Amino acid sequence: MMRNMLNRFAEVPLAAWLIGALCAVYLEQWVGDPLTELLLLPKIPVLFGCLIVLKTPKLIPSTVVFLILIYAVPICVIAYAVRKPANMIAAKLFSGPIWISAILHLGLLYLILHIWSDISAYRELTLKFTLIAIIVTLSLNLINGYMGEFSCSHPGFMALGAYGASVFSLVLFADDKNFGEALLPGILGPFMFPLGLIFGGFISAIGALVVAIPSFRTRGDYLAIISLAFTFIVKSLIENLEFIGGPRGLGSQPDFSNLLVVFIWTVLCVWIINNYVQSVYGKATNAVRDDEIAADAMTVDTRKTKMVTFMFAAFWAGVAGGLFAHVLRFVNPSTFGIQKLAEVLAMVYFGGLNSVYGSIVGAVSLSLLGEALRPLELFKWIIIPLLLILVMIYRPTGLIAFKEFNIRNLIQPKHIPEDEV
Amino acid sequence: MRKGAVLILLAVAVCMVFTPSAWGKNDAIKIGINAPITGDNPKVGEGSKYAAEMWLEDIKAAGGISVGGKKYDVEVIIEDNEYKAESAVRANTKMITEDEVMVIVGPQSSSQAIPAGDVANNYETPMISPWSTNPDTTNDRPFVFRGCFLDPFQGPVIANFVSDQFGFTKAAVLYDVAADYPKGLAEEFKKAWEKKNGKGSVVAYESFTTKDADFSSQLTNIKRSGAEFFFAPQYYSEVALIVQQAKELGWDKPIVGSDAWASADLLKLCGKGCVGLYFSTHYAAKGAKGATKAFIDRYNSKYGYVPDDVGALTWDSLRIVQAAIESLPKLTGKIKKDRKAVRDAMASIREFDGITGKMTFTENGDPIKCAVIVKITEEGEFEFHQSVCP
Amino acid sequence: MTYFLQNVVNALQWGSFYALIALGYSMVYSILMLFNFAHGDIFMVGSYIGFGVAAALVALSAAGVVVLPSWLIFTLTILVTMILTAMLGMAVERVGYRPLRDAPRASAAITGLMIGIILETGNLAILGARRVRFPDLIESVTYEIGGVYVTNKKIMIVVVSLLFMVAMQYFVSKTKWGMAMRAMAYDYLVVPLMGVSINSIARLTFAIGSALAAVAGILYGIAYPVLDPYMGVLFGWKAFVAAILGGRGSIMGATLAGFLLGFIEIFVAMVFPSTLRDLIAYSIILLILVFRPHGFFGEPYSAKLRL
Repeated sequence: MMRNMLNRFAEVPLAAWLIGALCAVYLEQWVGDPLTELLLLPKIPVLFGCLIVLKTPKLIPSTVVFLILIYAVPICVIAYAVRKPANMIAAKLFSGPIWISAILHLGLLYLILHIWSDISAYRELTLKFTLIAIIVTLSLNLINGYMGEFSCSHPGFMALGAYGASVFSLVLFADDKNFGEALLPGILGPFMFPLGLIFGGFISAIGALVVAIPSFRTRGDYLAIISLAFTFIVKSLIENLEFIGGPRGLGSQPDFSNLLVVFIWTVLCVWIINNYVQSVYGKATNAVRDDEIAADAMTVDTRKTKMVTFMFAAFWAGVAGGLFAHVLRFVNPSTFGIQKLAEVLAMVYFGGLNSVYGSIVGAVSLSLLGEALRPLELFKWIIIPLLLILVMIYRPTGLIAFKEFNIRNLIQPKHIPEDEV
Repeated sequence: MRKGAVLILLAVAVCMVFTPSAWGKNDAIKIGINAPITGDNPKVGEGSKYAAEMWLEDIKAAGGISVGGKKYDVEVIIEDNEYKAESAVRANTKMITEDEVMVIVGPQSSSQAIPAGDVANNYETPMISPWSTNPDTTNDRPFVFRGCFLDPFQGPVIANFVSDQFGFTKAAVLYDVAADYPKGLAEEFKKAWEKKNGKGSVVAYESFTTKDADFSSQLTNIKRSGAEFFFAPQYYSEVALIVQQAKELGWDKPIVGSDAWASADLLKLCGKGCVGLYFSTHYAAKGAKGATKAFIDRYNSKYGYVPDDVGALTWDSLRIVQAAIESLPKLTGKIKKDRKAVRDAMASIREFDGITGKMTFTENGDPIKCAVIVKITEEGEFEFHQSVCP
Repeated sequence: MTYFLQNVVNALQWGSFYALIALGYSMVYSILMLFNFAHGDIFMVGSYIGFGVAAALVALSAAGVVVLPSWLIFTLTILVTMILTAMLGMAVERVGYRPLRDAPRASAAITGLMIGIILETGNLAILGARRVRFPDLIESVTYEIGGVYVTNKKIMIVVVSLLFMVAMQYFVSKTKWGMAMRAMAYDYLVVPLMGVSINSIARLTFAIGSALAAVAGILYGIAYPVLDPYMGVLFGWKAFVAAILGGRGSIMGATLAGFLLGFIEIFVAMVFPSTLRDLIAYSIILLILVFRPHGFFGEPYSAKLRL
């Protein structure tokens, strides 16, 4: 019976699931409020009910009913119902260029996220931070997973990117007490914002050179401390630069990081990094990790490979930092300290090494968990580490490690299992 | 399958028609507390939390806050900001949009209060930061208030006090370069001192980094510079170490501090070394009278120690909020409107009689408040020395 | 000159903490090739245990139940705390590291990091946020020698840490257990073939490393008597720097690197404006690694790491 059910759902393509989810979030928007009232819930359960349930356990049944009525049932029913047309469309699209199909799927995904986060600003903020966490995690995975080094410099890179992008947009588009009047009309801001992010990314890539040049002369743990020293240096440097606010931080960045911008950059990051790791460079990076001498013998320029990968990862960390600064609209050096490092490392190793899927899973689950367990206050920081230890013990390389991310497999139409035909 | 779905929909529709709209609606007044329960400085969070608990106790005993003759139940929501800016922003957003709090009290430190104040102001929710001394927290933010005086006020107060009391002309400063509060105060003090005694009168301007425990190198520099005293605008736990190490390096001149010294734990951590030192603060615990004494005694008997200034300031902030809410003619039940009304009521409060002094908010949402200079006595109490009003 | 000498004294004290913690760190790092990110927090717990033991002994002594001279209280505190913290270290090894023996090294580093967070939060949950003052086990006496101020505590701290360093060096290079440890550092796959149990060596390594952290914790409590749950975090990371800077497999190296770190921090603040201290201090470390990429005593190794 169960198996039969699962078989039936095996022929539902991604597109159908997305349509189902879209309907669910629409449903939430329309009937969410009356339904919460009916179920005696205080508000629409914002993070799948975790906050409500942990705070007032007697609302568990109501919350579960809400989740089933709004999410589980509609998604399953609609996904199942539209599986045939969705398969047909997917097949048609699949025969064309892959990018059209991918963009349509992503558009659908964005629509879902947009409507979902429209319910509350808190949801939107959580979503943005989660998406940024994906970029950071993925870029660190490039170094710690694909390249097999242990780098501690990501907070430093993020800080460089955050300050780079902030200075860019504050100088050009905002009247601000540190840099005076805007040089360009503010209307251009959102369009030039990508340039600012790229600028921040380049600054951190240049910073990465400082780490890379001394540390890649040899293999070993030296990268770990050089990169750690780098994080301390960056923090201290920013604290001493009065024109960007010093320890007081830099605030009032213009509000350029809306959900669409963050989403597009996350997708770009996943796409580009995924292509990178499947390219010759990516394979060379893996080869260097597995056996540097052998890789060298196979004409891989190991030093150059490591440098390029490292700078590439730093670039993305910088972009993430820029987005972060514009979501928070305030940066200060103490944000990018040891705490941030522990957070990012946890996401990478929780999700899984050497895997794009893993990074996404790690970043999303830990970011959401960090918010969802808020009502536990202090004990949040006992439960999350315990969970991580358990994952590490039972899956030492992380939840989803060493798995390739293949967009074709994801969006292809699902064929009806043989025995059903 | 289809039948079931139709049935459910029907049931939902029927219920919707017959549900009184008041069901599940909770018309309690919600107050949010944004405090660092975990992170680098959990003591600050604890003080805020305890003050809030005591306040809630009072409210419950009175049967709620009465607005326009109607008693409203009160709910306090405490969110942990982990001493991180991003977490403070998330906590504020959550409390404003999810819990629909009427007022937010906190965050305490400027590095969290500045970004969190931005959120509160954008969502038009009144917020009062009891402890943040950086001018940026309230600047251009009509919905953001604070419960304490600012760095530009406290710096000159200390500089003037030292000049008048001791007649010194050469000062040194030791501060934490990575933290907002010491850095700001150190700068303001330096400015005020140099204005008074001429350029170069601050002979040593030394710093360290948060979480450092050894200040011997900086203290050696200060000693060598020939300063007649030094100013340490640090949190009391660091002060204990600074004072002890200064003594061990043969420093026998005065050390002057700021309001972050004000904790009963200072003497416990510092021992005899701190006796006889002066610092500026919000109120003098020794010889406190009336409400101040009642608060201190109650806190002490409940939690086993005399409250830090964070606790007292949080208490005052909550009381201001309460006074503002009580002064409203009625609550409309529409949270946005009520928030605005509370904000206006807070801005128009005059001469609020808090335990840390009388308060009136300026246009910027900063209180006009007096500072007191206290001396640490042999018994480890903070004795009133003088009061400085703006 | 006195100015310089004074700073040498300051740096000796500060450096001996780094050295002691780095020594404990380097035991685990050199022998098991693990990043022990829980070390800083074990140091913190050691300090708190020391606080508890010392406070209890002082109270007993004051109540007249037993009469203990202060040096005996000090010695007993160190011994009891070392044993208790060593047990904690073994527990950490059992929970966080043994299940991951064959996993990538970095995974074990993450479990260490997480155990550290649990220790911090657990402490906060149990003892609350109030900072505690370490009892005065030694009456502080300040001597002035030609303008240089030295306290008896400083001398004692430097002497005790040097003693432990020498003892460790002896233990590792002269005893049988030490030999087994060095063998493990050299090639951990062969060690079991020689009839030595990896598990017991790993347990012993953690026990010793944690006991050293406990000693550091007590000495820290005596010199800087304010304890808080997060005090070990930065120390842990700096010990990590010192352990690697010293070179893998070199206990002397880690000790020296610890002292060097202390000296750099103190002297940078002496020579340069102290606001730039971290910036310059870590740039110097970066430069050192440019010229000595294998640390002080480490050998260049191209052997395949376990990831």
